[in-house]
Amino acid sequence: MDVLLPSLVDGLLIGFVYGLAAMGLTLIFGVMDVVNLSHGALIVLGMFGVYLLYTALGLPPYVGLFIMLIAGILLGMALYGIAIHPLLGGPHLSTLLSTFAVSMVIIGVGTALFTSTPRNIDFSLGAVQVGNIRLLGTRVVAAFVAIIMAVGLYVFMYRTHTGKSIRAVANNRDAAELVGIPSRRILALSFGLGTMLAMVSGGLIATLFPFNILSGGVYELKSFVICVLGGMGNPTGALLGGLILGLIEGFVPVFMPVGWTPVIEFTLFVIILLVRPSGLLGAR
Amino acid sequence: MMILEARDLASGYGELQILWDVSLNLQQGRLTTVVGSNGAGKTTLLRTLMGLLKPWKGTISFDGRDVTRLSPHEKAELGMILIPEGRQLFTDMTVLENLEMGATPKRARPKMEENLEKVFELFPRLKERMHQKAGTLSGGEQQMLAIGRGIMGDPLLLMLDEPSLGLAPLLVIELFDIIRKLKEAGLTMLLVEQNVHLALAVSDYAYVLSQGRIEIEGEAAVVRQMDEVREAYLGL
Repeated sequence: MDVLLPSLVDGLLIGFVYGLAAMGLTLIFGVMDVVNLSHGALIVLGMFGVYLLYTALGLPPYVGLFIMLIAGILLGMALYGIAIHPLLGGPHLSTLLSTFAVSMVIIGVGTALFTSTPRNIDFSLGAVQVGNIRLLGTRVVAAFVAIIMAVGLYVFMYRTHTGKSIRAVANNRDAAELVGIPSRRILALSFGLGTMLAMVSGGLIATLFPFNILSGGVYELKSFVICVLGGMGNPTGALLGGLILGLIEGFVPVFMPVGWTPVIEFTLFVIILLVRPSGLLGAR
Repeated sequence: MMILEARDLASGYGELQILWDVSLNLQQGRLTTVVGSNGAGKTTLLRTLMGLLKPWKGTISFDGRDVTRLSPHEKAELGMILIPEGRQLFTDMTVLENLEMGATPKRARPKMEENLEKVFELFPRLKERMHQKAGTLSGGEQQMLAIGRGIMGDPLLLMLDEPSLGLAPLLVIELFDIIRKLKEAGLTMLLVEQNVHLALAVSDYAYVLSQGRIEIEGEAAVVRQMDEVREAYLGL
């Protein structure tokens, strides 16, 4: 019990960050029916962005994170124009391939520039003691940032005209055009937001764990598991799925070797697909 | 004054040509109808006018400017609003959100409150169901919402595609009462209908579309008396 509770709380904190990453994936799927296979590479881009700004310019990771936020939206909108828009309306395979190609380009260039040496952001915020649980400051802040971002996204989607326009385009693109919504711009913005979420969560993860240029794959798979858990296209479900995954990661190592974690996660993934393919909260 | 002029429009899907040299003139402040049987090309005509389909040839001008190549959202911005066949609501969003989305054009934004009141006055039921998801409304209520969403766009020209489709007879009568009210309020409309009898009764000017061509045009009251129309469309 002495080990379990702290481990679960720790897992929960990380779960918020996983949930945030998965929201990026699920947002893009929900709005334009595109499974973004460059998600993992974009997470890594966020990691390296924060890392390089910290090591080369001495910018604190949370300032770097803010820069990733802006850069993510811009990069995502550019990627939409290059890799998504020309293929929209075609078969699913074309956008799968084009986003996979984007991923290969990012990882290829990244490997050439940075090799696959492990990196680590040498940055600490100390620890806080809550009862008999000791929490690392960086994890608390990461969870806090993830919650703020998730709430911010929710408010944006439900309270602003632009956010509602995104939901309208997701719901019925032709009808959105008919009421005067420039659907192409809205789709580009949505891809920008999805990219931003991937890069910001990557930046957050970089403050927690060591990583290298190839780390994206692991987190991309986690995002897929989370999206299926919560229901594809459902951002609230993604957050819930992230928390469940975080809890599993806190729970498993207490009872068995940590190598079992992915086994349990993917077993859950398969069970959900078999028993409740629309996810716990239902797909969009 | 003409609000919309279409010259020699041709369009279709893929290789299949549906419209052949269709010309229309819509006068401001009048209710014009395009009637015709199923498959005559009525919906294709509206989709082409609105830009959901690109015209193969011909020109469209609206409010004195050439809009042939504009996309639907640009046309909506200018005041051309289409209420599409099958309502096409944002079913996952609330009634109020659907109406708010209707007010997307810049010219409609400042009038949003005013138009919202107008819509709720016309359709008190929508006010009661304001926070309900649009997908949970009955067919009649959905059609009201579709019209309400169109009014929210503060249209200079409101185009309605088969609004009576799938409605119970009593609701059809109610719908045509609404259309008449909007006309009396001075709204310029283009009504496309299969219900030829009611459409001709409520309209000022009529076009009869057959196999993708305009076959007959004239004042609705005159068209209604024509033998070929009475035989082919009114079953008299």
